[in-house]
Amino acid sequence: MKIFKKKNYGQIYTAPLMFWITVFFVIPILIIFVFSFLKKSYTGGVLPQFSLDAYGALANPQFVKVVLKTLFISIVASIFTVLLAIPTSYYIARSKYKDILLFLIIIPFWTNFLIRIYAWIAILGNNGFVNNFLINIGLIEEHVQLLYNQWAVIIVIVYAYLPFAILPLYSTIEKFDFSLLEAARDLGATKFQSIMKVMIPNIKPGITTAVLFTFIPAFGNYAIPEIVGGKDSVMVGNIIANQLRVVRNWPLSASISVVLTVLTTIGVLLFVQLNKSKTDEIRKIKEDV
Amino acid sequence: MIGGEIKVEKINKSFGNFQVLKDINLQIKKGEFFSLLGPSGCGKTTLLRIIAGFEYPSDGILYLDGKDILGVPSNKRHVNTVFQNYALFPHLTVFENVAFPLRLKKYKESEIKKKVEEYLDLVRLNSHKKKYPSQLSGGQKQRVSIARALINEPSVLLLDEPLSALDAKLRQQLLIELDTIHDKVGITFVYVTHDQQEALSVSDRIAVMKDGVILQIGTPYEIYESPVNMFVADFIGESNLTTGKVVSVNEDKIVKINTEEHGELYTYLDKPVQVGDTLKVTIRPEKIRIATKKPENIPPNTNVLVGYVDELIYTGSETSYFVKIAQKNVFRVFKQHIVYFMDENPIKWKDEVYIWWYANDGFTVEVTK
Repeated sequence: MKIFKKKNYGQIYTAPLMFWITVFFVIPILIIFVFSFLKKSYTGGVLPQFSLDAYGALANPQFVKVVLKTLFISIVASIFTVLLAIPTSYYIARSKYKDILLFLIIIPFWTNFLIRIYAWIAILGNNGFVNNFLINIGLIEEHVQLLYNQWAVIIVIVYAYLPFAILPLYSTIEKFDFSLLEAARDLGATKFQSIMKVMIPNIKPGITTAVLFTFIPAFGNYAIPEIVGGKDSVMVGNIIANQLRVVRNWPLSASISVVLTVLTTIGVLLFVQLNKSKTDEIRKIKEDV
Repeated sequence: MIGGEIKVEKINKSFGNFQVLKDINLQIKKGEFFSLLGPSGCGKTTLLRIIAGFEYPSDGILYLDGKDILGVPSNKRHVNTVFQNYALFPHLTVFENVAFPLRLKKYKESEIKKKVEEYLDLVRLNSHKKKYPSQLSGGQKQRVSIARALINEPSVLLLDEPLSALDAKLRQQLLIELDTIHDKVGITFVYVTHDQQEALSVSDRIAVMKDGVILQIGTPYEIYESPVNMFVADFIGESNLTTGKVVSVNEDKIVKINTEEHGELYTYLDKPVQVGDTLKVTIRPEKIRIATKKPENIPPNTNVLVGYVDELIYTGSETSYFVKIAQKNVFRVFKQHIVYFMDENPIKWKDEVYIWWYANDGFTVEVTK
């Protein structure tokens, strides 16, 4: 009857979940990991022979360039997203119509992700809304090429992941005690100072989450650069897809995936650690006062 | 530090259709401990927030030392606030909370250290300076908040029900401390509270408010002893009310009235009054005497009533008796226990008792012709 000891209950309850995660999450990752160390087959699959060819191919300067570009796009997009998300979530948290506004933020999720990206072609395209509007008001005479470059990719990434940044930020800002802003103003802070010195430090966990929720999907993104990107905005995700479907070099696409996963994990851990140690450091300095 | 003088002129404030403040006129002197006292919803906090600069009145003028400051934003006013919920910055230590205003003004590190320690000493919290607000008790939090509000050396300190979140004992202690701080720094204090006991014990003057109107401004003594109307009489302390028609007035301004419940009673009135006018008279419970025996050798113009103890509440230092007179009206009487244990005939529940008070101790709050 040992199995019914209190401490074993948890394991029993979570068994189905463990099973699910193992089969559908861990095993595919293991397959990718294993494939990345195998030889590629000329017919498109893998040969069961150990090989480091796939990793050797990563030393290619062309590939390093793509990684750097991907980093650039994801970082810029994350910064813009969070900068937009903070005031938006602040506004929602202080609004009388919180529920309705939050609902509006969630509405885009009801439409397919790809359709929403295609919709941006209608907005930014040569015959699109923005161009027509600018021509109509006489600001430009000929249409301007807005699509198929890295800025289009950044704009659409910002658009696509903004709700993921707003939701965690909203939940921390909503818990923030706004009377602290009044206190700061009372003590001599300008509106801007009271936000920077009192609100931002207190909603830091929300900002961290928002950055991660934007950066991670942006870094591994494939569909957005594929649809609205151009030659200057090929991202790592596009290379993986290309290797998998066109070149049919499975080990290479697997090795890129592994590198991408490792890089993201390291990046996230560093970011979280940095944020933590920074607040700890501030705490330490202040304890020495 | 020099206290500021506040003048509120014809201030009105509405939130939507609801008028919170109606034509408020008020003058608060330099260095005064001034209280705004009233039940919740009377507009006292709104008035304080207007002085602080968090709210803008619908119309009216607000002067600080003779200058109109309505156009001055809260961060530029020489006024600081102590908030009801403390409003300490949770991400900063006690030291940094108090240093916050100085850091904004870019003081030198050495000056900040000196000044913050001076103010933490004032509120006796120097040993807690490295702690975070979450590690402090309620009373300590409020003391940090007081130090933080004072470090800017404002000419007026606004206190928005600063003690209401604390327990009774601590409240009493902090109240005395506040009074001491007021004496030390010498600036003007504007204190908002719904607790009449707090207001009476520390204020130089009190404004009693109700429904957005100031009913009476005066010293604690004036407010307590000569309330302008029934509401003030009832809100400040306890009162017994009786109503009667004037029967006669003698040359010592002693008025004889005829009440429905208790027959003829004497009261003092320093106002011209005519026979037939209706008076509303309040008698404070501590001014009424109570005994099981009929009082002897009482001076003239003393009111004596007979009833029985309907309810008695023992509170340690005193007992309040609810004495039912003629099966109708209940009088509340306080008796201090100066000699409780030596009292040979303590008054018990259901005892028949005599209660009496002197005409001078009755105060007429309303006269209707």
